[in-house]
Amino acid sequence: MNKNKYLNCSLDVSRRNFLTRVAATGAALSAGKVLAQEAPKPPADPAGTVANSTVMGEKHAGMVVHSERPLTASVPAELHHFAATPNDRMFVRNNLLTPDIDAAQHRLTVKGSVHKEVSFSLDELRKNFPVVRTQAMLECAGAGRTGFVPRPSGTPWSVTGGMGCPVWNGVRLRDVLRAAGVQNHAGYVAGQGGDFGVIATAAPVIRSIPLDKAMEPHTLVVFGMNDGPLPKIHGHPLRLLVPGWAGSASTKWLHTLTVLDAPFKGTYMDTSYRIPRDAVKPGEKMPPDALVTEAWPVKSMITYPAQNAVFKLGQSVLVEGRAWVGEGAIAKVELSFDEGVTWQTAQINSATDKYAWRIFSVEFKPAKPGFTTALARATDDRGNTQPMAAKWNPLGYFWNGVHRVGFVVEA
Amino acid sequence: MLAGVLLFLGSTVIALAQDDPVPPKTLTPGKGVELTTARCVICHDATHITRTKLSRGEWEFNIKNMIERGAPIAPNEIAPILEYLATYYNRDAAAPAPVPAATASAGDPVTGLLTTHACTACHQTDKRVVGPSFREVAAKYAGNSSAAAMLAGKIRQGGSGVWGAAPMPPNAGVPDADVRRLVDWILGQK
Repeated sequence: MNKNKYLNCSLDVSRRNFLTRVAATGAALSAGKVLAQEAPKPPADPAGTVANSTVMGEKHAGMVVHSERPLTASVPAELHHFAATPNDRMFVRNNLLTPDIDAAQHRLTVKGSVHKEVSFSLDELRKNFPVVRTQAMLECAGAGRTGFVPRPSGTPWSVTGGMGCPVWNGVRLRDVLRAAGVQNHAGYVAGQGGDFGVIATAAPVIRSIPLDKAMEPHTLVVFGMNDGPLPKIHGHPLRLLVPGWAGSASTKWLHTLTVLDAPFKGTYMDTSYRIPRDAVKPGEKMPPDALVTEAWPVKSMITYPAQNAVFKLGQSVLVEGRAWVGEGAIAKVELSFDEGVTWQTAQINSATDKYAWRIFSVEFKPAKPGFTTALARATDDRGNTQPMAAKWNPLGYFWNGVHRVGFVVEA
Repeated sequence: MLAGVLLFLGSTVIALAQDDPVPPKTLTPGKGVELTTARCVICHDATHITRTKLSRGEWEFNIKNMIERGAPIAPNEIAPILEYLATYYNRDAAAPAPVPAATASAGDPVTGLLTTHACTACHQTDKRVVGPSFREVAAKYAGNSSAAAMLAGKIRQGGSGVWGAAPMPPNAGVPDADVRRLVDWILGQK
């Protein structure tokens, strides 16, 4: 596949433009033929993509694959027991295929409602703008979806699946936008990445964010993860980081930023990634006044002990976890060891970056043997507390119900 | 990861964290399974359907959503696909017994070939999707005595430029007998 195809991509999502751009991927369909007696198989991965086996070869053995196409995978809560999420435990959520992009050829173009269209190579980004480093949450809008009863459509992330908090290295999006000169009437920025689908008609994944968030100093154009290169599956060579917000805004394989006067109109803005203002009855349609998913509500998880861990009676257990909120700050985390009848306040480590999760802990000494549970619930600085179960919504977004882990105390 | 035992305690709404068992990787055999597979199991694997039972309304929304995302589903195919999904993957009603593949596939044998060889991922009889409709192809080559050999070559080797920039991929593995039947059938579309 011609690597240069990434250079000329625009935000023009007309079918014709897209057909031309991904013409080479059509070859995939030849592999899609199926023999009469066999179960139907989807077409094979086209050229210019990274195989799932390569991606998963770099991941932790405990990572659970939820879908092979598009690839989605995540680790259970106890594998997040790190200050920052290591690369091999960072969740995978593709909408399309994993493109294999040549960093040396790659450019980022800024266009739309700007005074001057500009484009930068990776070297130019590093040279022209201050390079920054921040630890920040990235969480799929559908993270935790399996907590909803009944189960809505979408990737069946476990209640703590589909999120992570690595260190990101890059430049500030606002610096890049200022280099192009944002026009006064502009209000939004849309990112577009170089991922493509198996068939030419697959719509490109384009999301826009309000300029206020784009200009926030922690919103980055990222080229590194955990102080090393950005892995291919996580957007190599460039991605957006829109910290604390629904993950789909953090465009991977970023090649174009389009400054817009109004939110981008497209299926990934108008049909997907929408959440009702209030709960709806399961099975009912999305209300017409549903909102675009933006900042994640307050949430937490217990990372130690692991589910089904075994302890001896008399032993102290340092129950530990992570708490975060999309915008704002964690004010309080409480734990319960009696299914929510009584709660005790956890210690919180607050000396971390603005959008990073907070590490909390409580020392617990079980009074009797048997099966014991720990529940965690966080409260943010605006007074929002995690509910026992999140409000049901048709696409299963923003699950932030109280996390519960069970373990065994032996006599 | 953890022992694959689902633990739910008492009547609580908070299930202990567990990942789902792996859902079936193929669709339940039944009326409409070929069409549903041909149109849906392209961009995503079958688990996207088999993993979650939904209400009929949610399936309807999903089909609309997938068409917006580029699924090659013609307007007249929405109803049969919805019927299949709402029959076999319905949260509100138990699924009937699967219909064995031989019975489900009964009908026009060429229709089976079109699905089996994934022709229908890009072509439909009366409507241009990714590639030209079969009727357009038949009309273009009507009266052309070398059309059958040329089309057989197109199926085998692929090509592009005749109907636009999107390429027809090569399909070297389709048996000769199937190619002949497909070409005869395509040229007979009016």
